[in-house]
Amino acid sequence: MKNRRLLIGIVVVCLALMIAALPIVSACGEPDKAGKTLKVGITTPTTGKAAEKGAPMGHANLDCFDYINNELGGVEGYRIEVVWRDNGYDAAKVVTIVKNFMDEGCLMFTTSSSAMMTASMEIANRAGFPGMAAFASPILYRPPQHIYGQMPDYGDDWLVFAKYYMENIWKGPGKPKMALHLLNNTTGYGARDAARAYAADMGIEIVATEEHASTTTSEMESLTRVKALNPDVLYISSTPAPTAMVVKNAYELGMYPGITIGCGHASFTSAFVDIAGADIAEGVYGVFPTVNWGDNVPAMAKMTEYVQKLHPEDYEKRNMDYITCWAQSLIVAEILRLAVKNAGYDVLAKGGAEAWKAIEEQGIQKLKDYDAGGLHGPVSYTPGDNRLSKSVRVFQVQGGEIKPLTDWIDAPVVKYEDFDWFGK
Amino acid sequence: MSLPCGTRNYKYAEDMAIVRTKTHWVLLIGFLVLLFTTPLYFSNYWLGVFNLIGITLIAAIGLNILVGYCGQLSIGHAGFIAVGAYTAAIITNRLELPFLVGLICAGLVAGLIGLVFGLPSVRVKGFYLAITTIAAQFIIIWVINHWSLTGGFVGIKVPYASIGGLVFRSESSQFYLITIIAVLCVFLAKNLARTKVGRAFIAIRDNDLAAEVMGVNLLYYKLLAFFIGCFFAGISGALLAHWIGFLNAEQFSFTESILYIGMIIIGGLGTTIGPIFGVVFIRILQQLLTIELVPLLEESLTALPAGFATGVTPMLFGLVIVLFLILEPRGLAHRWALFKAAYRLWPFSY
Repeated sequence: MKNRRLLIGIVVVCLALMIAALPIVSACGEPDKAGKTLKVGITTPTTGKAAEKGAPMGHANLDCFDYINNELGGVEGYRIEVVWRDNGYDAAKVVTIVKNFMDEGCLMFTTSSSAMMTASMEIANRAGFPGMAAFASPILYRPPQHIYGQMPDYGDDWLVFAKYYMENIWKGPGKPKMALHLLNNTTGYGARDAARAYAADMGIEIVATEEHASTTTSEMESLTRVKALNPDVLYISSTPAPTAMVVKNAYELGMYPGITIGCGHASFTSAFVDIAGADIAEGVYGVFPTVNWGDNVPAMAKMTEYVQKLHPEDYEKRNMDYITCWAQSLIVAEILRLAVKNAGYDVLAKGGAEAWKAIEEQGIQKLKDYDAGGLHGPVSYTPGDNRLSKSVRVFQVQGGEIKPLTDWIDAPVVKYEDFDWFGK
Repeated sequence: MSLPCGTRNYKYAEDMAIVRTKTHWVLLIGFLVLLFTTPLYFSNYWLGVFNLIGITLIAAIGLNILVGYCGQLSIGHAGFIAVGAYTAAIITNRLELPFLVGLICAGLVAGLIGLVFGLPSVRVKGFYLAITTIAAQFIIIWVINHWSLTGGFVGIKVPYASIGGLVFRSESSQFYLITIIAVLCVFLAKNLARTKVGRAFIAIRDNDLAAEVMGVNLLYYKLLAFFIGCFFAGISGALLAHWIGFLNAEQFSFTESILYIGMIIIGGLGTTIGPIFGVVFIRILQQLLTIELVPLLEESLTALPAGFATGVTPMLFGLVIVLFLILEPRGLAHRWALFKAAYRLWPFSY
């Protein structure tokens, strides 16, 4: 009884403290206008159902900003202050997080997943608060507003893979038959939209479009339908676990090997090979917008040093999402550098709409062939196209490892909004 | 209803009044003044959190009518909120009709969809009914994802709410809109519980067989509870749509439905004040953990494996809920009632 009263008392005191602390917390949230820092907001799904990707991406963001602040002395002498929040892959939560970034005086924000950016983009667009998504789908920036894509989107993946397939793999007569197996969200539908827009022009016949959930445990049924249509190539746009499930089921049905399998970049990481098994995944093609671990590029040594020191578990898994977000942080630093140089620190220090405008017009839109340490393709802003890097490379699983087959291939800009079916 | 010592009622109207004493009036007016001057004290972020609380509260009130008063367990509430949100989006975006038309239609359409999924309640109850409402959640989300009118998986934009020439752009203007509607909903729910309908709901919850024997039409009242509960969910969805500005089916997950059940249990089932306590508690807890605690732990607990502190947060969130269920299964509303009782008797506690 005594313990019960004590516990109830603690709960009541906690509640009272929570309510009493609100104004203090609110006051603490005022923008730091006098500080000599440049604030950026980073939100990653470090917990929740996308944590397998979100956690290493968050690590990379924070590790890279540590490197920039500690070894490079920040940006133009100003330290980058990171406001990091775990969104738990929760759409309602990410909306309040982005509002929190604006309130904290952040100059811009980044998300790792397209789904989280989709949930929060209108809040940012309405306020003119610039955001950048590591993984993007066309809906984020077609038509272009204040949201930018760090890398080519899921539609671009399909375009590059289809081009590579037609030029290097397809040897048969007539049109190849392609089946699409898509995650039931923007990751899958980005590829579907690109195929819808360009498959006929590229001489590809889309014979099936199947969907799966991120929690799928079997795709035997859908693949049996696909198998009956005798496709030449199966394209999967999804995350690692479901992609591995589709490939494993295709293997069990005797479809693969025998047909070509291609994957979008949301899945084509070491996690996919681990889950599917190296023997089953052998020969699967995929596109990815960054280099691989161990590649001879300028940023590799420092990134490897930091990941081994701070997050060795990500290095052991050779997680390619880590590379993506290390590059993302380098790009953010470059945007801040350009904005400080072109607009001046004082404009940025004021915070709010004026600073956000300066970040966009004097930072993001001044990006021209920026090399993110060779980690991915060149980063440029092109008017009317909010994709900052437009290139991917084609890879293949060989001997259990993901090996590059090509150099950077540029994906063309697609004006999806010109198609009357887009967004319906 | 218990009253402070010395308070007597001389008329039926006095007996029926919600606010009875001068102290009640002073406290109520003070609270409303504090509530409506909130934008003066808080930043945009916290106003955003309060807007989310207001929107969630409206949906939780609806669920409380359905589950707390009428005893019809529904675990698909996020689906009904989605119906309201998408109805408002279609009406204001695709059909370009005014916000108020969208708001009312959102409530009505969600209510009607609720009626359809409430039909099994005539034959099944308890966990069996829960399963049918889970089906509602998944069917609704599937339809949204595969219907071109809703924008499918891509989603749909929603304009700012506006009434006449007044456009609710800023966080503070949205706060007033949401708060006024939330206050109205609380008032409606409070009164509903005191009407013939409310008493029929309670009778069905306590013993449906006895209620039927006494002349309560089970089919009518159960379906009415579904309609009212889902109507509130629809209104909540419409406000959510205009507040966020972009809808995607991922915003209405099954986890959200479970969370709503958690909110009304923590607050106190079958009370008007319960959903308010539950929603405020859960939403503030979520924010404090996300915005304050996790970054603090990640910074200070550097000796622990990376991501440990972040991983602890969902466990902490679950732990708080479990502790509540163990220590105060009747919810915060019961604790509030005890507090008020103690206050009334003080200093003559007998």
